[in-house]
Amino acid sequence: MASLFSSPLPSTLLPTLSTKPHLSLKHPATFLLSPLIRRQYSLFLARSSDANGAGVAAAVEDKVEEKVEKESGEGLGSNGAAAAAAAVVIEEPPKFKDPRWVGGTWDLKQFEKDGKTEWDAVIDAEARRRKWLEDNPEASSENEPIIFDTSIIPWWAWMKRYHLPEAELLNGRAAMIGFFMAYFVDSLTGAGLVDQMGNFFCKTLLFIAVVGVLVIRKNEDIETVKKLIEETTFYDKQWQATWKDDTPSGER
Amino acid sequence: MASISSGAGAAALRRDFLGSALESSRPKNVIPLHRSIIRASKSSPKLPNRRLRVAVIGGGPAGGAAAETLAKGCIETVLIERKLDNCKPCGGAIPLCMVGEFGLPLDIIDRRVTKMKMISPSNVAVDIGRTLKPNEYIGMVRREVLDAYLRDRATASGAEVINGLFLQLDTPQRPNEQYKIHYTHYDGSTLGGQKKTMEVDAVIGADGANSRVAKSIGAGDYEYAIAFQERVKIPDDKMEYYQERAEMYVGDDVSPDFYGWVFPKCDHVAVGTGTVTHKSQIKQFQAATRLRAKDKIEGGKIIRVEAHPIPEHPRPRRVLDRVALVGDAAGYVTKCSGEGIYFAAKSGRMCAEAIVEGSENGARLIDESDLRKYLAKFDKMYWPTYKVLDILQKVFYRSNPAREAFVEMCADEYVQKMTFDSYLYKTVVPGSPLEDLKLAINTIGSLVRANALKREMAKLTL
Repeated sequence: MASLFSSPLPSTLLPTLSTKPHLSLKHPATFLLSPLIRRQYSLFLARSSDANGAGVAAAVEDKVEEKVEKESGEGLGSNGAAAAAAAVVIEEPPKFKDPRWVGGTWDLKQFEKDGKTEWDAVIDAEARRRKWLEDNPEASSENEPIIFDTSIIPWWAWMKRYHLPEAELLNGRAAMIGFFMAYFVDSLTGAGLVDQMGNFFCKTLLFIAVVGVLVIRKNEDIETVKKLIEETTFYDKQWQATWKDDTPSGER
Repeated sequence: MASISSGAGAAALRRDFLGSALESSRPKNVIPLHRSIIRASKSSPKLPNRRLRVAVIGGGPAGGAAAETLAKGCIETVLIERKLDNCKPCGGAIPLCMVGEFGLPLDIIDRRVTKMKMISPSNVAVDIGRTLKPNEYIGMVRREVLDAYLRDRATASGAEVINGLFLQLDTPQRPNEQYKIHYTHYDGSTLGGQKKTMEVDAVIGADGANSRVAKSIGAGDYEYAIAFQERVKIPDDKMEYYQERAEMYVGDDVSPDFYGWVFPKCDHVAVGTGTVTHKSQIKQFQAATRLRAKDKIEGGKIIRVEAHPIPEHPRPRRVLDRVALVGDAAGYVTKCSGEGIYFAAKSGRMCAEAIVEGSENGARLIDESDLRKYLAKFDKMYWPTYKVLDILQKVFYRSNPAREAFVEMCADEYVQKMTFDSYLYKTVVPGSPLEDLKLAINTIGSLVRANALKREMAKLTL
């Protein structure tokens, strides 16, 4: 009956099944073997069709080793009964479980490699936990309070991973723009680099170029910046509306 | 909730905001000698042989406070309320300063909340309230009790309370004539009430978010949130947990632009959520809120389901001639926390005070400039509070990473102290600049970390 569930459904409804091997390559220690994964997919489908009302998407994480083993035991019954039982038994989404998540926070000792904590792995683990909870919201429990604070991960770990690659990208862009603009202005006006730097207009252009590279990193950023500027003054305008004598417009 | 603006910043906000406001105001009836000064209406006629007559439409906190102040100021006051035992859908939280300013008896307050729990989208839970002094608390009241108390005080001061439904307002044809109010009087004798009219000199519209007075003066619309709430009676042992504790849940599942809450009431809890942008999905958000609080409200029975609109910002026009709006009708609900009871009562009182002053205790007729004085005073006093809460909402309710950062910041003691000081006493307190700087750096750090994690999350399982 594993084949009954797994073969028709995942191929049509879950194209992401093919991405599973990629994830398991990344973290072989925690992921289960494929047959159990497929069974879990079908069970998730049965559950999500119950329309929980909490908008549960088909979860991909299979941290719930115990739950899956329980379902595989039930699947040994007859086909029809197993299908009905599986759909009824799983009323709530599986909870987030990870051997390194202890007492409501990450156990840093389990992330050690060569005697030093591997912060990248902590960041990855926390991202997976948040993704899991975003897809399957859980009840907040008093017995297992979550006390993890991202500030325990040192600032240089964040910088190395996120700031430095971005900085490299932006510096590269700035350098390319700078080089070609300097050449272009030189060819037009005959002013070399040293002469350009003495000119106020050129310095202004340089400033605009630097700010532009910093602020506009994706195409969408232009719209985002415009919207932000409008947003900062919108509330003020709503409050001042009563002080303007023109007839009130409809919803602003 | 961090107090971002220091004293200098708040003063700058006030200057910028009111500087332009005062210059552009030109009330209709009075010819100002200077363009930027609103003259008191000494040119208004003295009323012959009678006192000023004012109708207050709506008997909630705004109406009750306004009616009491008017009556105390020797003005003939009539308060029209359509449902005297109205059990309003409301969080019911009042700040400490309201108890003092309005002289509320302590037995009106069902519960004193001294602990709040903020719960992030990934269920990181932070307790705030460590910095509260023993005499500080957030009062939880039943609206029917509070509203009735304020109305009774108004009656005791000399106001007349009428059980009726306001229908429409006839504006006077000539200046200095009276307004005619059409209303249905529920006097118990006729089924469906009796249609009556009344002539008054001025009207205060305190009739809430769906204000008819606002419609009759063409005040314009506002964006509003829908707040949906279920009152749940939970077993006593679970109720122990909520003895002095309120909870706030944030997350995209609970609300895309607001928060879900569990507030303790007299003998049950109110579980609810709200939204501006996704009103059609409110039931899903409510289910998600119930799911998040499941362990703590399991076994509870839903005894009441209620919903109500909450204004997001003031109406474009709050005053016209001798009609003024106060409270929810004007749109005085803060962003971020959605607090309205205190501002309703305060605005009602301020408007009434402006009328009392402008009419010299009921001797003269007032005009729009007197009512604009109330607007100027209210805007000047509370604009920093509203703006700071707006900034907080824009920064921290944007997205899940922002909410995670928000909850992380709430763990900081300085933040808790600033938040409670500004909430309980309704002043934006300037903290120490060094702590403010540390706070700013920590906030940026939290936001950056949370957004970095979000980018990691996006790479996973698309």
